[in-house]
Amino acid sequence: MKSIIEVRNYTKKYGDFTAVDDVSFSVKEGSIFAFLGPNGAGKSTTINTLVTMMEKTSGTLIIDGKDVSTEKDEVRKAIGVVFQTQTLDEKMTVTENLNMHCVFYGVPKNEVKDRIHFVLDLVDLLDWKDKSVSNLSGGMKRRVEIARALLHYPKVLFLDEPTSGLDPQTRNKMWEYITRLQKEKNITIFLTTHYMDEAEICDHVAIMDNGKIMVDDTPANLKRRYTKDKATVQVKNPALFEETLIKENFSFKKEKNIFHVVVDIDDIQQFLDLIQLFKNEVKDLEIKKGTLNDVFLEITGKEIREEASE
Amino acid sequence: MRTISALWLRNIRGFVRDRVKLVTSLVIPFFFLYVFSSIFKTDQVEDPTAFLLAGIIVATVFQTSLNIATSTIDDTVSGFMKEILVSPTSRFKVALGQILSAATIATAQGILILIIGFFTGLRFNNWETIIYVLFALMLVGLVFSGLGLFLASMVKSASTFQVVQQAVVLPFTFLSGAYIPIDFLPKVLKFVSYFNPMTYTTAFFRTIMLEKGGLPQGDLLKLGLAFDLNGFIITPWMSGGIIAIFGALFLYLATNSFVRADFNKISRNPLVRR
Repeated sequence: MKSIIEVRNYTKKYGDFTAVDDVSFSVKEGSIFAFLGPNGAGKSTTINTLVTMMEKTSGTLIIDGKDVSTEKDEVRKAIGVVFQTQTLDEKMTVTENLNMHCVFYGVPKNEVKDRIHFVLDLVDLLDWKDKSVSNLSGGMKRRVEIARALLHYPKVLFLDEPTSGLDPQTRNKMWEYITRLQKEKNITIFLTTHYMDEAEICDHVAIMDNGKIMVDDTPANLKRRYTKDKATVQVKNPALFEETLIKENFSFKKEKNIFHVVVDIDDIQQFLDLIQLFKNEVKDLEIKKGTLNDVFLEITGKEIREEASE
Repeated sequence: MRTISALWLRNIRGFVRDRVKLVTSLVIPFFFLYVFSSIFKTDQVEDPTAFLLAGIIVATVFQTSLNIATSTIDDTVSGFMKEILVSPTSRFKVALGQILSAATIATAQGILILIIGFFTGLRFNNWETIIYVLFALMLVGLVFSGLGLFLASMVKSASTFQVVQQAVVLPFTFLSGAYIPIDFLPKVLKFVSYFNPMTYTTAFFRTIMLEKGGLPQGDLLKLGLAFDLNGFIITPWMSGGIIAIFGALFLYLATNSFVRADFNKISRNPLVRR
C-alpha cells in the first residue's frame, strides 16, 4: 500500500522553544493512524501543520502527493478536519452548516442535497437536519462535525481527539462510524486520542513525547516489544510458591502482602505448568495481557490523562 | 461568487434571527433623537428633527457597520472561522462576504429609521432624493464595514475588542456633528473632528437627505454642511470624495489584514493554548 501522508524531518519552533523536533513518519492509504502523546508533546502542533493551519519551521510534509506548505488549497481539498474544539456555526441549523461547507469546498450544486443526505445518514442524524445546532448535545455536534468533514469526499480525515468529553456509549458509536468509513470508503484516518483502548483498534500507532516520535508501529508489535503479560496470584503457601518461582527463573514482585505475587510471563506454557503444581493452593488468579497503556508508560514515563488541551 | 453570496446570506440570517439585537438597534436611535433634539433647537435650522435624524441615521449605520467586527470575532471565538480557513475557499472572498453583509445590514437599519422618520413628519421635495439617500447609505455602510473588518483582524481577543470598539465609536460619533453640531465643540475637539471621516460622512449625508445641495456656500457653512479650513472650503461634494478615499483605504486595509491574520492566536479561552 502506498503512503498518503509523508512527513520528513519536520521541525516546528516557537522562538527558542522547539515544539516538534526533526520528526519523520508516514501513513498508509486506507489505514487508521493514531497519534498519541502526553499533553504538550507536540501532537496538536503537528496536526495543525498537516492541516495547513500552521507554518512549519523546516522539513517536508506531503499529503496525497501535495506539499502542505506550497500547495495549501490542493491539500485542503484532499483532507477533512475535525478540530479538538468545536467549529460549528451554532446559530444555524444542521443543514445550513453542511450547505455552507459544500460552498466552501466547491461541491457541485446539484450534488449538495444528496451528499448532505448521505453524510447525515452515515452518522444517524437525518431526523435532526433542520434543528439548530445549539439544540444538539455534545455527542451529536461531534457527529455533525464528522459528517461535515466528509461532504467533499476527502482522502484523509483528521480527527483531533474525536471522542474526548463524550460518554462511553457515544464513544462506541463514534468508533462505529469511524471504522465503517475506513472500511467502506477507504478513507485514511489520522487521529489523536487520550484513550488507549481506542488506539488499540487502530492499524498503526505513533507515540510522541517532547517533540519527538518515540515509537511508530502496529499496536500488536508495540505490545510485544514493550510489555509482558502479567499474572497476579494468591496462594495458600506463599513461601513455597516463591521458592518455586525463583527455582523456575520467573521474575516477580511481591505486592501489598505476601499473598499477592505479580509474575512476568514470557512463556504461557511454562507458567501453566507451574500453576498446575499449585492447583490446590491457588486462591485467586488473574492474567492480564500487556496494554498500550503499559507501552505508553514504558516509553514516556507518564500516565496518559485526559486534560482540556495542551 | 458562491462563497460571497452564501456568507452574505448566512450573516443576514444570523442578524434577523437575533431579535434582541434587531430591536435594540432600532430603539436606541430614537432615544438619541429624543435626548439630542433640544440641542438642535437653534434658529439656523428650520427643521431640527430632520437635521438630527440625518445625523442619527449616519451614526447608526456607522455603528452597525462596525458590528461586523464583533460578529467576525464571534465567529473566531466560536471556532467557525477555523472551519472557513481550513477550507480551500479564498480568504479574500470571505472578507468580501463579511463586508457586504455588514454593509447590507447597516443600510437596512438606516432605511428602517428613515421609514419611521417619515411617520414623524420627514418629507422630501424631490422623489429622486430617496435614491440618492439609498446610495449614500450603502456607501457609508461599505466604508465603515471595511474599517470594522480591519479592526477585527488586528485584534487578538474578544475582550480587547470591546475596549477598541468603545475607543472608536465614541470619538467617531460625538466628534462628527451627527449628534452635536461641531460648532458646539471646544476648539481642540473641533480641530480633531476635521480628521474624523465621520465628520465628512455626516455633512455629505445630511446635505443629500435635507436636499441642501443647491444652497450657496455661506449657508452651507452656517449649517455645518461645509467646512472652512483656513479659507479652504470643503463642500459637501468634496466630503463625498473624502469618504470614498477613506473607503478605498479601509477596504484595502481590511482585506489585506484579513487575508494575513493568524486566527489561531484568538482563542476562546486565553488560559488554554499558547
